[in-house]
Amino acid sequence: MLSTNDYHSDYPNHWCPGCGNFGILDAMKSALAGLGLSPEKILIVSGIGQAAKTPHFLQCNCFHSLHGRALPIATGAKIANHHMTVLVSTGDGDCYGEGGNHFMHAIRRNIDVTVLAHNNGVYGLTKGQASPTSMEGMQTKMQPGGVIVGAFNPLAVALSLGAGFVARGFSGEGDQLSNLIQAGIRHRGFALIDILQPCVSFNRVNTHKWYKDRVVPIEENHNETDLIAALRLALGTDDRIPTGIYHRMESPSYTDRIDKLKDKPLTDHRYRPELLKALLND
Amino acid sequence: MTVDISVLIGGEAGQGIQTIGLLMARTCHRAGLYVMVINDFESRIRGGHSFIQLRISDRPVHGPTRKLHMVVALDERTYGLHQPELTEGGLVLISKDHADTMAQHHRYKMVDFGGVAKKAGSSILANTVAAGTSLALLGAPFDLFENILKSTFNQVEEKRLAQNIQAAQYGYTAAEDETFKWSWPWAVTSPKGRLVDGAQAVAFGALAGDCRFSAFYPMSPATGIIQHLVDMAQTVPLVIEQAEDEIAAVNMVIGAAFAGVRAMTATSGGGFSLMSEGLGLAAITETPIVIVNAQRPGPATGLPTRTAQADLQFVIHASQDEFPRFVFAPGTPFEAFSVTARAFELSERFQVPAIILMDQYLNDSLFVAEESFEAPETVTSYTAADDLENPVGYRRYAFTDSGISPRALPCKGPALVKVCSDEHDEEGHITEDADTRDAMVAKRFAKVAAMRKEIRPPEVIHAGSDILLVSWGSMRGAMEEAVNQLRADDINCGGVHVVDLWPFPDTALSEILEKVTQFFVVEQNQSAQLGQLIRQQTGCQYTDAVLKYNGRPMSAGEITDAIKTKLR
Ligand SMILES: Cc1ncc(C[n+]2csc(CCOP(=O)(O)OP(=O)(O)O)c2C)c(N)n1
Ligand code: SF4
Repeated sequence: MLSTNDYHSDYPNHWCPGCGNFGILDAMKSALAGLGLSPEKILIVSGIGQAAKTPHFLQCNCFHSLHGRALPIATGAKIANHHMTVLVSTGDGDCYGEGGNHFMHAIRRNIDVTVLAHNNGVYGLTKGQASPTSMEGMQTKMQPGGVIVGAFNPLAVALSLGAGFVARGFSGEGDQLSNLIQAGIRHRGFALIDILQPCVSFNRVNTHKWYKDRVVPIEENHNETDLIAALRLALGTDDRIPTGIYHRMESPSYTDRIDKLKDKPLTDHRYRPELLKALLND
Repeated sequence: MTVDISVLIGGEAGQGIQTIGLLMARTCHRAGLYVMVINDFESRIRGGHSFIQLRISDRPVHGPTRKLHMVVALDERTYGLHQPELTEGGLVLISKDHADTMAQHHRYKMVDFGGVAKKAGSSILANTVAAGTSLALLGAPFDLFENILKSTFNQVEEKRLAQNIQAAQYGYTAAEDETFKWSWPWAVTSPKGRLVDGAQAVAFGALAGDCRFSAFYPMSPATGIIQHLVDMAQTVPLVIEQAEDEIAAVNMVIGAAFAGVRAMTATSGGGFSLMSEGLGLAAITETPIVIVNAQRPGPATGLPTRTAQADLQFVIHASQDEFPRFVFAPGTPFEAFSVTARAFELSERFQVPAIILMDQYLNDSLFVAEESFEAPETVTSYTAADDLENPVGYRRYAFTDSGISPRALPCKGPALVKVCSDEHDEEGHITEDADTRDAMVAKRFAKVAAMRKEIRPPEVIHAGSDILLVSWGSMRGAMEEAVNQLRADDINCGGVHVVDLWPFPDTALSEILEKVTQFFVVEQNQSAQLGQLIRQQTGCQYTDAVLKYNGRPMSAGEITDAIKTKLR
């Protein structure tokens, strides 16, 4: 039996006290322990930002990459060795801004990775500029008159692109989040978990209390396979923010669709000169 | 007797001039002749003006010529544009429809390619008719061409083959009352080597380098490389993915390499620009990757289907800050093959990115390669999977004398592998510690001493000459031919060709260049980029430069003329 201690990292953590990232980190550890996935079985790929530092704070294999580029790195790694469990730790700027194009196409590919998008509605690491998910009107030092464009809706976009697993969590609801992460990892294919996360230093609008007043678990009778119902939830009609699994539908993942990968991962093939002889002397 | 004949086949894009060139090239090659085919096409699918130039010789040929002996004009424009290049006594084949408006400065022969083709069954066969008439005039035995048709069309139904043979026969008949001044008796011998273009050679090299993954975004002239890989990938453990953009392509390649397979991408300058940040990521994470930049003229979109050698300084310096990398620029298909396989090997061994500079001319032209393309018997693995002494205490960036740290793979054993694009400590964790930063930069650069040892010295022809021509990449063939032409004109000239460009072969080059009174660089760019690099790295100043940057490949004749003017 694994416990959360098995993922403990001594690497010093400098997130601001009270930051929602801590709740997400704890939920990740408990989800991984719950699934019995020991550190050497998992790869966490991240971009750049406060969220993207996450893999340093737990025991795992880690690729802390470039701003916006976690998904293509994760895609390449998964294709090379699809036996790995691959998670992506990313921020709203990282995933929906700088990496927006990759986000769309990773969904289309249905690459089997679980994306944990720490959505704090702001750029944390670069000290408080608006992000794609900042609410219209939110004032920042860079947007002193308030953000004048509408917020990006990651769930609605993911759903309309055909993502097979779309969920929303909240860093303040650890148990629920841990369950969502487990379900996301178990899902064979692309899984998006957009995690609402207060940034105590730079986001004065979406505070812990603000979220607490709004988040509600998705009703029990919600049909996860009903895409239109999921879209309705994602587009929202009132102030409430539903948390839980919006949509879940499995279809063959990218690596499932490649015959060559049926036997074993690319990493496990021997070099076989006899295969090349015919090709090179054709 | 010596044969050195140049045939130009021109028309609109979509008229099938490539087919004619290919059929003729195969026939010449089968006869034991040397041949090369240069593609000159516009960035469009239909219309415009495209041509291919076929050079046929009984001696090895590695570059274009300016003199034409025969022009096969599928449209009027071809005649108008290329008749000034015709050597006296040259012959133009032109289809009947265009004949009346044509000026008659040269011998010309009207052949209604389309009409004759219809007699054979379909106007699509016009290409076979044209190839037939041209080959007949060159003196090629019919059965040779027939065999080429058989091997070319053996996959399709018999009816089409029969029609093609009929069309070829009509083509031959059409040539009956015409003569070609330079036709020669074809003594059919066994074929020399193989016909291959640079793009295919790179793909062969990638297989020989054990490439398992490739991601790309289409961009001329690099696409051919990936197309060849795709065509060969069926039977080997190689996965190829079309990425959403070049940024994704290079990062997928880095991800795959990190997970433990050899991986590469191919692009042109614009895509390489987008990959620059990824190049730096490969460098700081010490992930081995191979990037091919098939150069075309720029900046920005430039001339999409044409050739250039203007990215040398760019790729040597691309991405912010400084880090070791390999840069190679092959000069022939065989060099493209062997350099690509070596790039995989060296990149893996030193955990650094390797860049291969191709260009449109080398990529898209067909050459006869006499060397055999052999896959190595074994490919060395430089990863430490099972033999780590203390996997639990594994540090991905452990300091070593060589600068190379044992490279474990993620999820392949108990060692946890952490890599990081921030400056990091030995474990792969972010650090801002000044001493660690110094040590990490030093660690990465510690590899350079051993990397240098892998750099092969430039090749010299006619060592001991007073004057040297210096080229890199695809200019090899034209430069060497120019050297021989100059020597034939009693100019004591030799040549130096540089393939391994970074780490720069400074010692080897200074030794060569310090001995001569004058040296000239020959390059397809505006600012003599290799010349500048030589000056920077060796202190040797080039006398002058022969440069061309209009997107068309330089011929030996152009180099010879320029050198003679400069020497005067
Ligand atoms: C190419 C590039 N552009 C910009 C940056 C600067 N940068 C670093 S993190 C970041 C935004 C971080 O915001 P988010 O992804 O939401 O993560 P958070 O820090 O809020 O967790 C930016 C713009 C960078 N590192 N690289
Ligand atoms: S800046 Fe915001 S997101 Fe970053 S650690 Fe502090 S509270 Fe968390």
